[in-house]
Amino acid sequence: MDNKEKYKNAFIETFSIEASVLDKNLEYNTIPEWDSIGHMTLIGSLEEAFGISMETDDIIDFSSYNKGLEILKKYKVDI
Amino acid sequence: MAILNKPRVFEKFKQFHDYVKKNNGEIGTKQRGIDLNLNNACNLRCKHCFTNSPIGDHVKDILPPDKIADIANQADELGIFEWDLQGGELLLRPDKLFECLEAIKTERFYMYVTTNGYYLDEKIAKKLADLGVNRVSVSIDSMNEEEHDKFRGRKGSWKRAIKALEHVQNAGMSPYLNITVGHYNAQSEDIKQLLEYSKNKKYTTLVNVATPAGMWAKMSEIMVDEKDKAYLIKMRKKYKNILRNLWNPFDRDYEKVLGCNTVNRMYITPIGDVLVCPYVHIKIGNVYKQSLKEISEYGFSFKKFRENSSSCLAGEDKDFVKKYMSKEGTSIFNPADPKEIFPKDHFKEFKFSEQK
Repeated sequence: MDNKEKYKNAFIETFSIEASVLDKNLEYNTIPEWDSIGHMTLIGSLEEAFGISMETDDIIDFSSYNKGLEILKKYKVDI
Repeated sequence: MAILNKPRVFEKFKQFHDYVKKNNGEIGTKQRGIDLNLNNACNLRCKHCFTNSPIGDHVKDILPPDKIADIANQADELGIFEWDLQGGELLLRPDKLFECLEAIKTERFYMYVTTNGYYLDEKIAKKLADLGVNRVSVSIDSMNEEEHDKFRGRKGSWKRAIKALEHVQNAGMSPYLNITVGHYNAQSEDIKQLLEYSKNKKYTTLVNVATPAGMWAKMSEIMVDEKDKAYLIKMRKKYKNILRNLWNPFDRDYEKVLGCNTVNRMYITPIGDVLVCPYVHIKIGNVYKQSLKEISEYGFSFKKFRENSSSCLAGEDKDFVKKYMSKEGTSIFNPADPKEIFPKDHFKEFKFSEQK
């Protein structure tokens, strides 16, 4: 599984959504599952998947699917 | 204020998440929240009230803003990330509630208010949102208006509660539909209807299990049994928007349990007493006399609170209730002394280092 798939999977598994939902740049709080608890669960899944530990500022900035892609680049995750 | 605009909350929430993950999904001795009963006066007369508000217990007492600010500073230092302001019914005196929210400095906490919704209109909802409240929990007992009103002791309370949730949602806060589940209703049609309604409205359902405390003291028959517990997990998996403080919120399989939150969520009464939780009326300190840190340490010096329990001690553990919650006359204002009710080998010696 490549990094892009890992990234997508974290969203799909955390929020129990279809992959197609991600095509439209899913944003925080636009589905009931992506609330504050869902957010922390997602961050935890990504940290585990990529072996990283995210800083608070990045957790806060992680406001959408696309924004998350940008943030992960800071952690040298090649997506 | 959206939760993502509260960096300090996420910093603490992350610490909590990481602790739980490292601790095999259990809450251990990690501090989590404060349940503050700011004032015990209420406009309703609910049959199950655990604070004895319907009989007018200590309804005039209230913690002053400077003490609340002090508690909030200590709570923040302890890594506590969530606050539940409750009563009584705090919207009976909205000015006092607003004053309290200002004292807390809500940008540091995931902030919520628990209410019966009777006085929560559009204007109040907006004000709460402006003051940094993230979530409002409104208690509803049945989708049958008559049943709810009978249980709450006031006509019109159901309609207002239902409307209140809409105001909360419109104001941009998270609407939580609070339900109390006991053996008498756990697998009833009524509960199914409430769960369905909450899901359809995109609310979150918070389940509190019925506890034999306050107005229901000694009524252990109301406690859920193993079949009821299993049914609740089944509902949790089905609806996915149901929370219990006992459950692991990060578990996407919707089945794991964090453990009983006694001491992890300390309950503070209007006279400053600190109890291990809202439902277990055992006192571990007083905010006028001791620091929250030491109160927490003292609380965890008792084996029953330090060791993980996969059951809610007050609402699911009949043995605990029988042995430690059955002292005559116990209430939130007359809590039991843990050293008097637990055997000596159940606690470590603890000395408060500073008396304020």
